[in-house]
Amino acid sequence: MIDAPGLRWVPNGQSVLSGPLLGLAERLDDRFLSLAGRWDAADHRFPTFLAATVLERIDWFRSFPQLATFPVSLDPDEANLSSFTAGQPVDGDGRVRPTRFAPIRDVLTPAACYHLYDHYQGRAFDRPRYFTTRNTCFRREDHYVPLERQWSFAMREIVCMGTAAETRAFIDEATADIDRLVAGIGLPVRWAHASDPFFRPSENPQYLMQQVDPTKEELLFDDRLAIASTNLHHDHFGRAFDIRRDGEPVRTACIAFGIERWVAAFLHHYGTEGPWPAL
Amino acid sequence: MTEPDVREALRSWIAERNPELPPGEPADDTRLIERRYLTSLQVADLLLFVEELRQQPIDPASLRPGVFRSIDAIHSAFFS
Repeated sequence: MIDAPGLRWVPNGQSVLSGPLLGLAERLDDRFLSLAGRWDAADHRFPTFLAATVLERIDWFRSFPQLATFPVSLDPDEANLSSFTAGQPVDGDGRVRPTRFAPIRDVLTPAACYHLYDHYQGRAFDRPRYFTTRNTCFRREDHYVPLERQWSFAMREIVCMGTAAETRAFIDEATADIDRLVAGIGLPVRWAHASDPFFRPSENPQYLMQQVDPTKEELLFDDRLAIASTNLHHDHFGRAFDIRRDGEPVRTACIAFGIERWVAAFLHHYGTEGPWPAL
Repeated sequence: MTEPDVREALRSWIAERNPELPPGEPADDTRLIERRYLTSLQVADLLLFVEELRQQPIDPASLRPGVFRSIDAIHSAFFS
């Protein structure tokens, strides 16, 4: 397990960054944001909650139920709240002892870019559009590793909405830019085909499709840790959110950077106390 | 089945699901997934259809990238 000044690991899958390590994380995000500048991608800051109906449109809950984390609150009925306070709100094992919950209508963001498709739903574009956003993302996993596999982590994404040729060109340009970035700082990485972690993949047609038409490439540090990915979605989101380009469902593509994972790669490769390469 | 029969059967299967396609389309080298003539909802059905045509099962785990890219690619992967 990695141990570095400025890193405090919270064993439920979260980390605290401070000092130079926080500075490194911020410089990395600034660098990703400057990559987004190549396309004049407009930055967006979305909330952490995402309406469950948004993900239902793309059948996300059936595809990735194991990853979901929901914000819950108590039913505000006074008797319900009284009952909660009359008991022991948190037991000796740290488990909350809830009374009745209010209906759950939201999910904690599992990937930053979903907000953009919801935000631009119903729009019609006549030229390629580029956006970027960063969010804290949440993915429930069966185990966690500091900076490498966390329940909550920061993700920067750059999204292209355009034609098939424009989204393909975006992925090619982004791949070349990322290659230049990692070559400049000397990180040992390689690109590899990847698929999303579908629940019961053999029963999911989207998994079968990813096998025959790989649309996801991951940038692996040290042959094991995906620190970035490129994803071509065809018209999956364009159809689901009725975003159109010249009358047709828009094609979309995104590139994603896991910020804590980049920090982990730097610590493993250059040491935990720096100096780290300039970005 | 002869090679032209296989190609025609595949063409008809795609055309039935894409009524907007002009007669004779898709061509043998048309990019089926890229053009969205084949979507993730249809790919499992196409796999079953290919199994029927060649009268042999296909292990989904053995599928390689590109095998459903075009009629040419399907023919080359499963009928050559």
